[in-house]
Amino acid sequence: MLTQDGVLEIILRALHNLNDEMSDSEKFDVTPTTKLFGTDATLDSLALVSVIVDVEGDVSTALGRSISLTDDRAMSQKVSPFDDVQTLLAYIMVLVAEG
Amino acid sequence: MVDSNVKERRGVHVTLRPMQASDAAITFGWRQAERARLLNAGAATVEQQAAWIAGRPGSEYNYIIELKNGTPIGMLSLVGVDKTNRHAETGRFLIGEEEAAKGVPAAVEAMKLLYELAFDELKLVRVHGTVASGNKLMLKWQKYLGMQEEGCLRQHYFIDGVWQDAICLGLLEHEYRTISLPRMAVLMKVGARPAA
Repeated sequence: MLTQDGVLEIILRALHNLNDEMSDSEKFDVTPTTKLFGTDATLDSLALVSVIVDVEGDVSTALGRSISLTDDRAMSQKVSPFDDVQTLLAYIMVLVAEG
Repeated sequence: MVDSNVKERRGVHVTLRPMQASDAAITFGWRQAERARLLNAGAATVEQQAAWIAGRPGSEYNYIIELKNGTPIGMLSLVGVDKTNRHAETGRFLIGEEEAAKGVPAAVEAMKLLYELAFDELKLVRVHGTVASGNKLMLKWQKYLGMQEEGCLRQHYFIDGVWQDAICLGLLEHEYRTISLPRMAVLMKVGARPAA
C-alpha cells in the first residue's frame, strides 16, 4: 500500500532529480511546501513536465497500475494539483485511494 | 536573407515574432547563459550573431518567443522545410529568460504555435530534431509531448569538453494530433488556472 509519506517521498525525489539537472543558478529549495506551477512558481513548463513524468512513473510502478496526472479530471479540480507539493500530494492520494 | 514572409504567430500566453538582426544582443546573451550549455556552440560576438541572423535563408522560420506584455523570453525555429517530402526540423529552442517563464506555459505554447505552422499550415507530415544526450530535461519534455526516439548519432556533439550522443527524435502528424495536442492543452490549462 502506497502511503502518504511514500507519495511525498516520490514527489520530493522528482524535485531532487530535477534539481540535479539544473545549473547552480537555477537550483531551488526542495521542501514539502515548495511551490510548483502557479503564483510564485518555482518551475517553468519544461521543469513541470519533468516532475509529472517522474511522479506518474514512480506512483504507477508502486501501485501496479497506471495513473495520469494530466487528464481532464486533474484539470477539473477546484485547486490545481500543480500549485505546490501539498496540492499534488493531495490529488495523488485521491487517485491512490480509488484502488 | 531573413524572409519577411515569416509571419507573427499569436497565442494566448506568447507570441512568436520573426527574429531580426536587432535581436542579436539579447539572443547572444541567452546563448552565453548556463542553460544554453547543451546547445551547439553559437556566435562568438554580438556582431557575429547579428550577421548570422541577417544571413538566415528565407526557407527558415526563426522566431523570438515573447510574452503577451512584449517581453522576449526565448527563441525557436523551424528549418530545413522540405515541401516535397513534407518534413522539417525544429531547433534553436531556448528559453533565455527563465524567471519570466516560471508559472507560464510559454515553452509549451511556443512549441504548439510552431507545430501548427508545420502541420496545419505547411501541411508537413513529420518534424524531427536532435537533442544532446546530456540534455535530459529537454529529452523528457520532447518525448512527453509526443516526439518518438528514432535513433542515436554517437559522439555527435562536443560540449564542455565531453562527447555527447545526439538523440534523434521525430513526430508524425497523427502523433501530433493524438499525443502532442491533448498534452499541450492540459499544460496550457495548468498555466491558465488561478492558484489556490
